[in-house]
Amino acid sequence: MSVLQAHDVTKIFQEGRETVSVLNGASLLVERGEVVALEGPSGSGKTTFLSILGCILTPTAGRVVVDGREVDPKRPDQLPEIRKQSIGFVFQQFNLFPALTALENVEYALNIKGHRGQDARKEAQRVLEAVGLGDRLRFLPRDLSGGQKQRVAIARALAGAPPVVLADEPTANLDSQVGGQVLEMFRDLAKQENRALLIVTHDPKVRTIADRVVQIRDGRLAA
Amino acid sequence: MGVDLARKNLLHDKLRFLITVSGVAFAVTLVFVQVGLFMGLLDNASITIEHIDADLWVTSKNTPNVDFAQTFPETAVQRVRSVPGVERADNLIVWFMTMALPTGAKEGTLVYALEDFERWKFPWNVVEGDLTDLRRGNYLFLDASAEKRFGKFQVGEYREVIGHRMKIIGRTQDALSFSTTPILFLDYRRAQEMSPDELSGNTTYVLVKLAPGATPGDVEAVRREIKRRLPHNDIHTREEWASRSRRYWVESTGLGLNLAMTVFLGCLVGIVVVAQTLYTSTMEHIKEFGTVKAIGGSNWDIYKILGEQAVIAAVVGFLLGGLMSWFLRPTMASIGLKLIISQPFAAMVGVGTLVLCLSAAMISFRKVARIDPALVFRT
Repeated sequence: MSVLQAHDVTKIFQEGRETVSVLNGASLLVERGEVVALEGPSGSGKTTFLSILGCILTPTAGRVVVDGREVDPKRPDQLPEIRKQSIGFVFQQFNLFPALTALENVEYALNIKGHRGQDARKEAQRVLEAVGLGDRLRFLPRDLSGGQKQRVAIARALAGAPPVVLADEPTANLDSQVGGQVLEMFRDLAKQENRALLIVTHDPKVRTIADRVVQIRDGRLAA
Repeated sequence: MGVDLARKNLLHDKLRFLITVSGVAFAVTLVFVQVGLFMGLLDNASITIEHIDADLWVTSKNTPNVDFAQTFPETAVQRVRSVPGVERADNLIVWFMTMALPTGAKEGTLVYALEDFERWKFPWNVVEGDLTDLRRGNYLFLDASAEKRFGKFQVGEYREVIGHRMKIIGRTQDALSFSTTPILFLDYRRAQEMSPDELSGNTTYVLVKLAPGATPGDVEAVRREIKRRLPHNDIHTREEWASRSRRYWVESTGLGLNLAMTVFLGCLVGIVVVAQTLYTSTMEHIKEFGTVKAIGGSNWDIYKILGEQAVIAAVVGFLLGGLMSWFLRPTMASIGLKLIISQPFAAMVGVGTLVLCLSAAMISFRKVARIDPALVFRT
């Protein structure tokens, strides 16, 4: 069974008196260990679709199932728990906590997920070493390069072994060479740890590491 | 133990932390100094009552406080002495007189006159001289605090008190009045001779000491009996009389209201500073809080961060404010002001600081509750 499922997802926003339909029956299945690239022009609904798959928004209609758990649009209070248990996020602007070191950034995310003490610390250290930052554990984000920051963000997303990892333009703030390296490492780790990885992107390099590329136009998906 | 994001965020921006803590410390110092000085002044209002070794005070009807005494016939003391359970009773005169200073100026002074001071363990802090010498001539003891208003004086010097040349034969310390009028000590009969129109044959108080081991019930019985014999006087226990004297100044001078206003303003300044800095900090960290929510954190996780920051600001600000107030004590003392900070009062201010800082943090709670985790996808 697919670890991430979207069936006929529709999202309509109310803007004043107008209704704006952003997604019109989008469907997608992603398996464990699969890397999927989601491409589309600006305003096509990529980020809205990512937010719905990431249980940050609820769909107006349609079904979303994450790791076997069906999202109930009428119970938005359940969403944080699903995010906590099953989803890791990587953001375009890294979104690291500036006051925390690389290690603490990852450890704090684990604390939120319910891991505490030495277990959290060891897991944070493990994933940071896995992304090649074993020698930067005590560095604050301001002392890290863009590529290193994104590696910390990836480590944070992978920590605690969520079955689904969602990335929003992870290479947008990186130069081409660093972006390529980060993507390869990201793909390898996702495969190695059997995670479903969905990357929303404009970057053509993502195609080279993805198992499948999905296009989104006018709120509909096309393979 | 987990990562302490609250503390790390707070200390990450050191200038903001300093401003927050300074705001709290300022408010705490303001409250400590204002209330401490007020307590010091109030302490002066009843300090003589608390040090005279009397269980009951007989006063004229409706005397408002110890300084504003009214006269009544001194023979009343005889009726008190014969009450069963009374070990001893003596007349005490407390009276305003004028002293001529070497500069030519005249200043008011508050006279305490007893026949036998030592019997009442009063004054309690004699620095120089022998109290028994007071009855030997035109002599007086003057409290050291008089130097602030009367200028320096030495034992052996002379001063004129309502036209009578008197020799200073002793010096006391810590005998103060609420109005800061300097206190001097005279022999009871000498005081009557000096101001015969008002004091001849009159006293202002009768001090009553009960037999050792008197229970509260005995005190009440003696009081009732004295009241029966002296229906035109009031009889107070020491605690009641001290409290009445203090209350007079609180209520009649507006000092109580003034104090309440200052404390209120101090608290307001503190709460505004903390609320403002925490709110600004929340706004600046809004994307971080969005991230906390996006990775599965709840509003409660963020409330805990804000709450902990408020507690840290309260504790550090309280300690800093407390230390500043403590170190101000010698400076205050050098200008003749007492700053009294009792442990229960300090504890009360500590709890108040905590409550106010947490309340200030709550202003940011509404903002936090509305943070949309989807903002993490916005550039």
